[in-house]
Amino acid sequence: MLKNYLKIFLKVATQNKLFTFLSLFGISLTIMFVMIFSMTFNKMVKGSGPEKDLKMMLFADHVKTESQGKNRSINTNFLSQSLCENYFKKVTSATITSMYRTDQWAFILNGKHYEKPYMMTDAEFWKVFGFHFLQGRPYTNEDIVNQNHCVVITQSIRNLFFGDEKDVLGKTIRVLQLQLTVTGVVEDPSSASQNISDGIFIPYTVMPWPYGQEPILGPYTVVFKANSKAQFPAIYKEVQDIITRLDRADDQWTITLQGPRNQFEKMMIGWDMSEDIASPIGKFMKYILWGLAFIFLPAVNLMALNFARIRERGEEIAVRKSFGANSGSLRGQFIFENLMLTLIGGVIGIILSFVMITLLGSSLSVPISGFDSVPVGFSFDLKIFGVALISCLIFGLFSGVLPAIRMSKMKPVIYLKGGEK
Amino acid sequence: MIKLENISKTYRTRSVETLALDKINLEVKRGEFVSVMGPSGCGKSTLLNIIGLLDEPDQGKLQLEGNLITGYEDKKTAGMRNHLVGFIFQSFHLIKELDVYDNVELPLLYRKMPAAERKQRVVASLEQVGLSNRMYHYPSQMSGGQCQRAAIARAITGQPRIILADEPTGNLDSKVGHEVMGILTDLNKAGTTIVMVTHDESLAKETHRIIRLFDGRLVG
Repeated sequence: MLKNYLKIFLKVATQNKLFTFLSLFGISLTIMFVMIFSMTFNKMVKGSGPEKDLKMMLFADHVKTESQGKNRSINTNFLSQSLCENYFKKVTSATITSMYRTDQWAFILNGKHYEKPYMMTDAEFWKVFGFHFLQGRPYTNEDIVNQNHCVVITQSIRNLFFGDEKDVLGKTIRVLQLQLTVTGVVEDPSSASQNISDGIFIPYTVMPWPYGQEPILGPYTVVFKANSKAQFPAIYKEVQDIITRLDRADDQWTITLQGPRNQFEKMMIGWDMSEDIASPIGKFMKYILWGLAFIFLPAVNLMALNFARIRERGEEIAVRKSFGANSGSLRGQFIFENLMLTLIGGVIGIILSFVMITLLGSSLSVPISGFDSVPVGFSFDLKIFGVALISCLIFGLFSGVLPAIRMSKMKPVIYLKGGEK
Repeated sequence: MIKLENISKTYRTRSVETLALDKINLEVKRGEFVSVMGPSGCGKSTLLNIIGLLDEPDQGKLQLEGNLITGYEDKKTAGMRNHLVGFIFQSFHLIKELDVYDNVELPLLYRKMPAAERKQRVVASLEQVGLSNRMYHYPSQMSGGQCQRAAIARAITGQPRIILADEPTGNLDSKVGHEVMGILTDLNKAGTTIVMVTHDESLAKETHRIIRLFDGRLVG
């Protein structure tokens, strides 16, 4: 039976080229956008390069202080140096804990203006994130304590500052009035990375935060790395216990911290610190609903084309009914054909998404939240294959079921007489 | 074999009601070859469609092979069409996207039948109508006579007890028409009951009995 359906599908598809083209065009474009978004999202959540162990990391990056009384004030920011050093870096349930801050650095080189990010980190940063060193070594705790003016640079920064010169260890670059000696060169991190900037890395003690030392709020993020996810509840509890202790010790301010959170939660919740915040899953479901709405529109279009096609195929349907096809088998045939069409469109969409990412990856970006949009990137695994397959199925079923039902209910006599009246 | 009691059918549009069949009483015995004649619009095709369970009467009783048709549930009528009846149409109604083999195989696909047995039946049917050398031709590659032979092969491949033929020679020239009539006669001699709608008096005379319809009523 399937062979018969397949033959009919191929014949109809090749005979009615305009219909086939319009259908495949709509399906493949939709699947392409779904794929690009999913792959980029997957790449950010899964992590790659230095972030390959992202699933074993929890981040504390937003703390809120709220004053009581008449002049109520609410402040939300990253974490202060003292909060990180005196409390969070002492969390024992994590395997490694690191702190870092990120900022922008503007400079002129050979008459051209550049703006690059820089990260101020501790020594543990290099143990948490698995950078590949092309040259040299990371800075150490001794460098941190002694405020040594050293720097680790990425490959692209090396190329920018030193051109073709390969051995740059011991050379200096000037960053924000500081003369820093290169101790290491690392491979560029992925552009989809949400936690690591593509620039330079400096011991955080070399350049204090210029806007003063607050007890709670500041510019730092803390990352807790575990050996297993089983450690996560303990890390969460220990961090929240710290916040509770600090909150109780302060009569003037109420202190709250969301998390620590994994990468998925970080991306879903972002800076939203409201108490009635939707769960990350809830927010993720909103994205899914948006995705379904995105699939819905072209699927409605295909549905309309399918309705029009029923008339064209009235004779065939009438003949099949005359020789024993019941409504169920006719619905099955039409849905099968539609699924075949959407699967072919899906394959074209997947290929198109790879082509688009390869050709335009660096200039395309996907909006992830109100603050961030990230360059698209490859990340194809079983989950993404599942997303593509499910999108095709939803598309195929949605656009095929209603026309199939209508088709199966038609009276064969009308078409055997020569057409609908 | 086929028994109609007081069968009536009216087609309704918003403004017009057309009485297609008016209290038809008819019995066709097993192995009979009956032709139905009458002017255009007298209800011949409607009669055939009702016997073939493609259409539902407004009132009256229909019996096929001793089964009283009481309800017209989709699955049940589809099953009966598949096993009891084979249709032959004036304009062949072969599926143009399928070759002759696949067209003839069609009724068997709606049965749970092994592929080898299906193949055997299709080949046998095509040999019976003298079309085994055109098995993989498409309808557009064949003459009208060959298309009608293929349509007959499709009608008989499921070995139905009844064949309903709606002007099977209407689109064919006289010579080919007689060849087709010859095939139908042979099928009838082999035991198949045939009800054939025709405008051709000479062909009708070759059947066992002529039923005449006028304005939805039996007149002879």
